[in-house]
Amino acid sequence: MNAGISRPTAVLGLAAVALSLVTLLGLPTPLQAVAAIAVLILLPGQALARLTPVTDFALRALLVLALGLAALTAVSTAMFYLAVWSWQACVVTMGVITILACIARARQEAVS
Amino acid sequence: MTTTIDAPSHTQARWKPRDVWCAIAGAVSLVLVVWAASTVAVPVNSDLGLVGVLPYPFWAGLLILNVAFVVALRGDAAGPARRPVMLWLVVVLVLVLFGTAAFVTDVPRGEVAFRHLGIADALSRTEGVDPDIDAYFNWPGFFALLATVLKATGLDPVTVALWAPVLNMGLWLAALSVLTGYLTRDARRRWLVLWIFCLGNWQDQDYLSPQAFGFFLYLVVIALVLGPLAARTPKFLGFGRADLMEWWRGRSPAEHRPGHRVTALAVTLLLITVICASHQLTPFLVLITVTALTLSGRVWPSRLPLITAVVLALWLVYPASAYLAGNPPLAEGGLLAAIDANVVDRVSGTAGHVLVVQVRVLLTLVLWALATAGAVRDWRRGRLDIRVVLLAVTPLLLFPVQLYGGEMLIRVSLFALPFIALQACSVLLPADVRTRPSSRAAGGLVLTCLLLAGMTVTGRFGNAQYDVFTDNEIAAVAAVKRLAPPGSMIISASTPTPWRSEAYLEHRYRTMDYMCESDLSTATCGPLVYEDARENPAGAIVLLTRSSEASLVLRGVSSEGSFDELEAWLSGQDGVELVFSNVDARVYQVTP
Repeated sequence: MNAGISRPTAVLGLAAVALSLVTLLGLPTPLQAVAAIAVLILLPGQALARLTPVTDFALRALLVLALGLAALTAVSTAMFYLAVWSWQACVVTMGVITILACIARARQEAVS
Repeated sequence: MTTTIDAPSHTQARWKPRDVWCAIAGAVSLVLVVWAASTVAVPVNSDLGLVGVLPYPFWAGLLILNVAFVVALRGDAAGPARRPVMLWLVVVLVLVLFGTAAFVTDVPRGEVAFRHLGIADALSRTEGVDPDIDAYFNWPGFFALLATVLKATGLDPVTVALWAPVLNMGLWLAALSVLTGYLTRDARRRWLVLWIFCLGNWQDQDYLSPQAFGFFLYLVVIALVLGPLAARTPKFLGFGRADLMEWWRGRSPAEHRPGHRVTALAVTLLLITVICASHQLTPFLVLITVTALTLSGRVWPSRLPLITAVVLALWLVYPASAYLAGNPPLAEGGLLAAIDANVVDRVSGTAGHVLVVQVRVLLTLVLWALATAGAVRDWRRGRLDIRVVLLAVTPLLLFPVQLYGGEMLIRVSLFALPFIALQACSVLLPADVRTRPSSRAAGGLVLTCLLLAGMTVTGRFGNAQYDVFTDNEIAAVAAVKRLAPPGSMIISASTPTPWRSEAYLEHRYRTMDYMCESDLSTATCGPLVYEDARENPAGAIVLLTRSSEASLVLRGVSSEGSFDELEAWLSGQDGVELVFSNVDARVYQVTP
């Protein structure tokens, strides 16, 4: 791991990988719900919001929700139109988006 | 005119006995409301809805909650009570006003949430979008999201629909709290806006629906437009061409970091695209409000309305073209037609139902009157914020453009509500925002909040006699699913019927109300329904539920006696057989 990467970025990326895997493998219902919501909405939302220079806590928290929901809507809708939808594919795609956003953030951190 | 309503007060950092008592009062009111709601028997046998059957502890809880909020809001010279206390009281209010039905029954209210579950289910089964099915498949964004979330989480869809109003209200309030932060720094005003937004929210649009999702994204877009994408304007010189040009060129970005503006613009465009993919009406509201704000000089990226219009047009001419080909967007319209469809046609039915509709209209008028008084007060003091006025008024421009099934007034009043609430605060709080409300003013505020709360409970739950379903009705719908052969037609008396949550594409669903064009007399409607049912190659199932019949009676479309006569005639015809019945429903099978 690059020493220039901050701990939150690394944790976010690793959490996306781990939660994507456990969501795909399956968990008991309440845990599956928590893991799926995290990997589909909250982690991508947080990763994308961290790419913006927003410093206001309230706006940042709102962007986590809005970006997470909007990104999942865009991904799911595109998959339906392309007739390649499955919830597992959505989980993988949102995991990849989170990791890519973390890589972009890491590059920002390395530059600054 | 000023751009913000300044006030230095901030939420205090130290706990006081008053804060603790207010928090305890919130908990007590929640316990009272939950207990009172759980004692309500279903079906609700009052044409006033839940308000006619809720026991007095519910109202005591509502009273305690509003008193606690006003005490906490009044606070002391330094400002309102601590933020966790204020937040707790808002959470309790959301549970009280938007969770009441969930404390009464574990079945979601109304028909539409069931239908939306069915569309998400149909999408996940077909794994593709066929825009020729119906309008929903031309704007599938929200349903794609719902299908993915339901399948990935394994959550029970009906439970998700049951608690959707609380969840949606939480999302709306989160967005609204950020948005109002760009319009006022007065902590009292910001909390009161959230409170009035809840108390004035009779529109009942917070169920599991694309419009609820779209409204959340709309509020986030407006927050971004008023925040990172905002512009500062120089002093207005006049309407002369040269003056206007100078004024326009004198604008400057409120956010000085270009990177911040670019990312905010990118986020805004993503949200607008998702809104266009998810709901028919919301993109138009985004377009007109963003255009109005841009023309007022308050938005820095001046091409944002153009970009929004292009995204909207692209969605309409390509993914939504199948629907629009048969449904021109401006085919129905006009102010008089809109008034007829949205107001006149709705003020009919039993005395209780008419009263409920009148209360909804009155609540809207009271809020608009308060907002107007607040606007006049701000204007006299030179503090009127043009952005708030534009955000409150521009949604009304859509009212005469499209009838939207007689629901346009409900939709535009919801989109205006946050800003009506903000403007109403100007008359509900002291003129000098630095001063604490007097005891008299606080008393007036308590009375106003109680009045609004009573009217909202009446308006929101006024249809409970027919939109709160019993377990027997759900059992009848399950029986229909079991008994209906593929391709058969399923006929209900009227909306609401808790159907279509599964097998959305496998049957034709019709209501007698629709088939007979609201003439449910036996002579007219009986043969029409019977012939349609028998002509369907796979036959038909006729589902008659207590709620759908109550809907017809309450809305004045039919009477109990005449509907019984219709059912008796239908059940006596050849090929019609009663295949399921319980206290609240009968199911007839019609063979072809």
